[in-house]
Amino acid sequence: MSSHREAPEISKDPVADSSDLYAFVSPDNPETLTIIANYIPLESPDGGPNFYEFGTDVLYAINIDNDGDGEADISYLFEFQSETTNLDTFLYNTGPISSLTDPNWNRRQTYTVTEIKQDGQMTVLGAGLPCPPCNIGPLSTPNYESALADPAIKTLSNGMTVFAGQRAEGFYVDLGSIFELGVLRPFAADHILSNLLPTMAGINATKALNVHSIAIQLPIDHITRHKRMPTNPARPESVVGIWTTASRQAATVLPSTPKANGSSVYAGPWVQVSRLGNPLINEVVIPLSQKDFWNHEAPQSDVQFAQYVSNPELARLLPVLYPGVFPKLAAYNAASTPSRADLTAILMTGIPSGVVPGFQNFTGTVQADMLRLNLAIPPATASSTLPSNLGLLGGDVAGFPNGRRVFDDVVTIEIQAIAGATLGLVDPSFTPDKAAGAVNQGLTSSGTDLTAIGTENYLPSFPYLGVPHSGYFTPAS
Amino acid sequence: MAHLSRRLFLRNSGLAVAGAGVMSQVPFLSSLVGAGEADAPAAAGAADAATAGTDEGAASLAQPLVAHVRDLSTGEIGIFNGTREVIVNDPQLAARLFHAAR
Repeated sequence: MSSHREAPEISKDPVADSSDLYAFVSPDNPETLTIIANYIPLESPDGGPNFYEFGTDVLYAINIDNDGDGEADISYLFEFQSETTNLDTFLYNTGPISSLTDPNWNRRQTYTVTEIKQDGQMTVLGAGLPCPPCNIGPLSTPNYESALADPAIKTLSNGMTVFAGQRAEGFYVDLGSIFELGVLRPFAADHILSNLLPTMAGINATKALNVHSIAIQLPIDHITRHKRMPTNPARPESVVGIWTTASRQAATVLPSTPKANGSSVYAGPWVQVSRLGNPLINEVVIPLSQKDFWNHEAPQSDVQFAQYVSNPELARLLPVLYPGVFPKLAAYNAASTPSRADLTAILMTGIPSGVVPGFQNFTGTVQADMLRLNLAIPPATASSTLPSNLGLLGGDVAGFPNGRRVFDDVVTIEIQAIAGATLGLVDPSFTPDKAAGAVNQGLTSSGTDLTAIGTENYLPSFPYLGVPHSGYFTPAS
Repeated sequence: MAHLSRRLFLRNSGLAVAGAGVMSQVPFLSSLVGAGEADAPAAAGAADAATAGTDEGAASLAQPLVAHVRDLSTGEIGIFNGTREVIVNDPQLAARLFHAAR
C-alpha cells in the first residue's frame, strides 16, 4: 500500500483507491510483462458479511506509454458488474462455495476488459470474466486457490492473461512507525524524541491484510513501440512507463428508494480520482494541498509537481528528526535550494545511460511519474546476492526503480535515496552519509531476504501475490 | 455505469452535436482514462434547438441526463449525458430550472 489513503478525498473512497502498482518481466515467462494494480487498501480478511469487491461505478485502467511522452499508448480498461443471486438472505454465501458457479455464492462479480490504443482502436478482449469470492474460511471457501482463484485466471483473445480479485497484501511497511513523526523502530534511539520510544524491530502493518488486485500478463512484443521483443537494454524503445488510474463519472444521483441491486444514476465524463505510478510519490512527496489535484492529473503534466520531487520535504526532515545522523545531507540542504537530479531521474524521467553502468530506463525529458521498466533486462538469476529486495540499490537491475517486483522493499529504497544514497551518482562532489545506505524499516534481515514476515506468501507464478488471508484464520488485529 | 461500447457511440454522436451549435470537446483516451473531466468550452449565446428541447419528440432518454446549473447570471449549465458533458450558456433556461427548484 505504497499509495493507500494518500490524499484526503480518495481516503474516503477505498474501492477507487489505488494502493500499489507492480510491473516486471515475468520470472517464469520472460517473454511476458506482468502488471499488478491493487485497489481497496487495508482489507481486514474477516470484513463481512458484505465482503470486499471492486466498484461497479469505477473505471479502472492500466496505462502504458511506450514512447516517453507521458501519454498512454495502450490502456487496458476494467469495468465490473455485481450480481446478487439470493435476495432473501443476509449471507454472502449460504453454504460452501465450491466453484465459481456454485449457487451457494450470493454476491458475485464479473468484469469486462477493453484494450484502447492511442489511435482510437478499441477492442473488447473479454466480458463476463469471473472474479473469485473473498477468502472467508475453510467452511465457506474450501480449496480456495485450486477451486476458486485458479479458475478465475483467464487468457484473452490477444494472448493476455488476466486475474481480478482478492489477494494477500504483498507490500510490507511499518505504517505505525513511519507516520509517528518519521520514526524507524530500529533507529528510534537516534530519533529526536528517542526518550519516548523504544528501539525495536519493525512491525509489518500489512502482514495480515488483503487487497484487491487487477493483474495482467501479456506478451512484451504486444506493447512495445515497434511491436518487438527488445533485446538491447541501451535502446530507448526497450523502456515503457506504466501507471494505473481509477475514474468516476462526474455526476452521481442517489436513489430516493434504494433497490437491492443498486439504482444510483451515473452520468457525465469520467473524472480521474486516483493515480499511481512510482510508489509513495503522492503519499510522502506531494503536499496535502496538491494531493487530490495530483490524483486528478495525467503524468504528462507532472512537471508542475517537479519541485516537490527535486526538493522533497522528507529530505529536509531527516536531519531534523535524526540529529547528527545525516550531517552531509543537512549541509547539502543548507547550501542552496536542493535540486535533487537523482530523485528527478529515478521518479520523473528514468535513469539515463552512464549513471549506473550497463543500465538505463530513461524515457526522455518529459517529467512524468510512471513506473519505468526496461523490458530488455531479464529477471534476476538467483545467486548469493540476487534477487535483492533493494533493487538497483542492491545491485539488482531487474528491481525497483526498474519496474517493481512484489518483494521489492520500496520503502527502504526510497528512504535511502531521499537520505542521499543516490545523490552522489549525479553529483560526484557529494559523499552520502553512512546512514543513508544503512537506514531501513527493519522488516527484512538482509537485501536477499524475501521471506520476511508478510512476504512469505508470494507465488512463483501469475498472479504472484499470495492466497488471500482467510477471515476465519486471520482475525482482525 | 455506462458501458464502453456506448461511449464509442457517444464519441461519434458528439461530433454531430458540436456541429449543431453546442460546442463540446468529446473526450477520448486522455480524458476517458486519463485526467479530468471533459473541458467543454462554453458556447456563446443561447442554447441550440436540441438543448432547448424542440426535437424531444425524436429523442429518447437512453442514458441518464443530469443538469448542473453553475452560474445563474451567465446561465452556464453543465449537462451530463452518458459519458459526455455539454456546457451551454442559457440564462433563461438556468432561470427556469432555478424557479422550478424553488
